[in-house]
Amino acid sequence: MVDVGQLALVIALVVTAYAAIGSFVGAWQRIPDLTASARYGFYSVPLLLLLSTAALVYAFVTRDFGVRYVAENSNLAMPHIYTWVAFYAGNAGSLLYLALVLAVVSAIAVLTIRKRLPHTTPYALGTMALILLFFLAIMLFLANPLERLPIAPPDGQGINPLLVHFGMFIHPPLQMAGLVLVAVPFSIAMGALAARRGGRDEWVDLGRLWGMVSWLVLTMGLMLGSWWAYTILGWGGYWAWDPVENSALMPWLAMTAFVHSIMVQKRRGMFRMWNMALIMIAFTMAQMGMFINRGGPVPSVHSFAQSTMGWLFLAFMAGTLLVSIAVFMWRYDSLRSRAQLESFVSRESAFLGQNILFLLVAFVTLWGTIFPVFSQAADDTVITVGRPFFDRVNGPILLLIVILMGIGPLLPWRRSTTQSLIRALRAPLVAALLTLVVLLIVGIRQPVALVAFASVGLAVGGILTEWTRGTRSRHRRGEAYPAAFLNLLSGNRPRYGGYIVHLGIAMLAVGVTASSFFSVQRDIAMIPGDVASFGDYTFRYVGANHTLHPDRAESIAAFDVWKGDRLTGRMEAFRAFYPTFRIASTKGAIRSTPIEDFYIVPSEFGADDQAVFRVLINPMVWWMWASGPVLVLGILVGLWPSRQPAPAVVRVPGGAQAARSKVPSPLMGEG
Amino acid sequence: MTGTSVSKLTFLILFILVSLALSACNNAQADVPALEQRAQALNQSIMCPVCPGESIDQSQVALAVQMRGIVNEKLAEGWSDEQVREFFVERYGPSVLLEPPTEGVSLAVWLLPPVGVAAAIGVFILVVRRMRRRPEEPSVIDGDDSMSDDELQPYYERIEASVSETDIDGQDR
Repeated sequence: MVDVGQLALVIALVVTAYAAIGSFVGAWQRIPDLTASARYGFYSVPLLLLLSTAALVYAFVTRDFGVRYVAENSNLAMPHIYTWVAFYAGNAGSLLYLALVLAVVSAIAVLTIRKRLPHTTPYALGTMALILLFFLAIMLFLANPLERLPIAPPDGQGINPLLVHFGMFIHPPLQMAGLVLVAVPFSIAMGALAARRGGRDEWVDLGRLWGMVSWLVLTMGLMLGSWWAYTILGWGGYWAWDPVENSALMPWLAMTAFVHSIMVQKRRGMFRMWNMALIMIAFTMAQMGMFINRGGPVPSVHSFAQSTMGWLFLAFMAGTLLVSIAVFMWRYDSLRSRAQLESFVSRESAFLGQNILFLLVAFVTLWGTIFPVFSQAADDTVITVGRPFFDRVNGPILLLIVILMGIGPLLPWRRSTTQSLIRALRAPLVAALLTLVVLLIVGIRQPVALVAFASVGLAVGGILTEWTRGTRSRHRRGEAYPAAFLNLLSGNRPRYGGYIVHLGIAMLAVGVTASSFFSVQRDIAMIPGDVASFGDYTFRYVGANHTLHPDRAESIAAFDVWKGDRLTGRMEAFRAFYPTFRIASTKGAIRSTPIEDFYIVPSEFGADDQAVFRVLINPMVWWMWASGPVLVLGILVGLWPSRQPAPAVVRVPGGAQAARSKVPSPLMGEG
Repeated sequence: MTGTSVSKLTFLILFILVSLALSACNNAQADVPALEQRAQALNQSIMCPVCPGESIDQSQVALAVQMRGIVNEKLAEGWSDEQVREFFVERYGPSVLLEPPTEGVSLAVWLLPPVGVAAAIGVFILVVRRMRRRPEEPSVIDGDDSMSDDELQPYYERIEASVSETDIDGQDR
C-alpha cells in the first residue's frame, strides 16, 4: 500500500509538471489539443494524491512504524481515532495534505472557469500546476511522508499531546486549506492578466467566488483555532498574537480587503490594478504563513511542523512575488479603469479606505512579527514583540474598521448629497448614541470599550435600518413580512449576504471587546470541600479523580457551582501531564451563556490534596463562537447564484453593462 | 408587528444583554484584590522563557508557575512593578518582556505603525484625488461604453420616471 502511494506521488509530480508546461505552451502557441491534454492530466492529479494520502492514512491506522513519518508522529498509546488524522500533524504529512487540497480544489475551480473564461483558463491552470509542483517536489526530494525505515521500531514517538483533542479534526485541516486555497483566486487573476484579459471584468465573478471560498475557509480555521486555544490551553484566552496566529491572520486580512474591493470592479469596473495587487499581496502573505509555520525565524507555540525547509518556502514566496510583479508590469496597459472616482464621500472611496485599513493592520502585524529578527541582526539584542504591542497598535485601527463597517455600506455609489447622507446616517447614529448612553448609565467608563460598542451599535443600526426599510416597502407592495424580508435578501444576494457577514463581525467585535476589557480572573488554592465565590458565582471543590495511563497522568476535578442562590450543576475540569513531552494539557470547565462564561481550569495539583485553580468570568465570549454560523450563512447567501441575471432597470441598446455603469446609482440593484 | 418595532425589539434585547453582562463583570472586578490585579497585569507582560511567545500568565509549564509565585512574593514585599520587571530582565535578558522597550533599536518597532497610519491617510487622499482628476478615456477594450451621455439621456429620463413611481426606501443605494 505504501509503495502504491509512493508511486502515485511520483506520477502526480510528472503529470503536474506536464500540465504546467503543456498548459502554458499550448496557450502561448495556440495549440488547443495541448492545453486540453494538459487539462485532462491535471484532473488526474487529485486522484493520484488521494491514493497517496490513503496510503499514508492506512499506514497510520495499521500502525505501520516501518514508515519513518508514521513512527515519528504516532505511537501505540495514541487513541485509535486520532490515527485517522495524525497524518497532517507533522511537516511531510501536512505538505501532502496541502497538495491534496490544492489539487482537488484547483481541479474543481478549472471545471467552473473553463467554459466562461476560455482564454484565461490555460494560464490559470498552469499557475495552479506550478504552485502544486512546488509542494510535490519538496515532498519527493526533501520530506517524503512515505519514506520507509530500514528496521521498523516497535513503537513510535507520538505527537505533541496538545494535538490530541477534538479540535485536531477541524482546525488544522481548515486552517491549512484556507492558506493554500488563496492560490486559486490568485491563479485565476494571474491567468486573466497573462491572457491580457485583466481589463475585461469577466474574471471578476469567478475570482470573487473563489476568493470568498478561501476567505470563508480561512475564517473558519482562525475561529476554530481560537476556540481550541480557549478550551484547551488553559489560560482563559483565545488569541495571543503569537507569530503563527499572526501569520494566519495576515492573509485573512488581505483576503478581506480583496473580497470587498473586487465588488467595486464588479459593479463599477474600477480598481482593476488594485485588485490584482491585492490578490498578489494576499497570496504572498499566505505563503508567509506557511513559511513561518514551518521553522521560520520566529519562535512560536505552534512549532508542530518545524523543519529546516522554511527557507525554501521563503525563496518560493520571493520567486512567486517577482514573477507576478513581472506579469503585472507586462500587462499593465490592459488594466485601466473604466469609470472614475467622483467623490471622497462615496461607496467606492469607503471601499478604498477599508482596503487601506485592512492592509495597514496586515503590515503592522507583519512588522511586529518579524521585527525581532531585524533587531537581532541590527544590534544583537534579542527582544520580544508580544501581545501588548499588537493590542496597542492594532486596536485603534481595528476600531476604525468597525466604524467604517457601520458607515461604508450606507454611502451611495459615485457621490452623495449632504441631504441623502443625513437621511442614511440618522438612524444608525441614533443607535450608536443610544448604545453609548445605556453603557454610561450602566457604569462603563473605559473610553476604548465605549467607542467600540458605540461603533458596533452604528453598524448593527445601519444594517437593521436597511433591512426594515426594504422589508417595509416590500410589505406595502403587498408582501407578508417574512416573505418581504426573504425576497429582499434574495433580490441582491451579494449585498445582503454581505450585511449578514457584517452582523457576524459585529457579534465578533462585541465578544472581543467585552472579553478583552471586562474579563476577570483569580487563581484560587482549594482542598476538597472548600467553597469559594467569585462575582455572582459560588463553587465547591468536590474532589479530584487521579488516574495513571502509560503516557500520561490524568486528573479530573469536579465542582458544584451556584449562580446567585441557584445550583447550576456539576462542572468537571481536566488536566493531563505527559512526562515524555513535559507538557500539560488541560480542558477547562466552562459554563457558557450569552451573558458570560464561567471558566475553571486546574493550574496544578499539589501535595496534600491541595489544588490551584484559575477561575475566570469572561463576558460575552459566547457571541464570538455564535458569530461563526452567521458568517457562514452570510457567505452562502452572498455566493448563491441568482436565478436570473442582475436585473437591469432598462434595456439599453449597446449592452446593459453600459447602462449599469452610467445610470445614477439609486437605480441599481433590486428592481 | 411592524418592521420598526422588530428592530426596536432587537435593539432592546441587545442592550439588555450587553449591559447585564458588563455590569456583572464590573461587580466581579471588585472581588479581585488590588495586589492580585497588579500581579496579573505583570504576569501578562512577562514572557515565559522556555515557551516562546507565551506569557507566564498563560503558560502551564512549571517555570511559569514558579515565576508567577515570585511575582506574588515580590509584590507582597512591596516592590514596584518596575522593580519586578527589572528583576526578571536581569536574569533572562530584555527578551523576557513581551512589550518591546521604547529605546534603542526597538524604538523602530513603535515608530513604524504611526508612520504607516499617516502614509495610509496620504495614500487614500492621493488615490482619490488622482482618480478624480483623470478624465474618462474611451478605451478600445471597453467596446461597451459606446454611447455618449447625450445618447443615454432619454434612458436616464425613463429610469427617473420609473423610479419616482416606486418607493424610494426600497432602493439599493
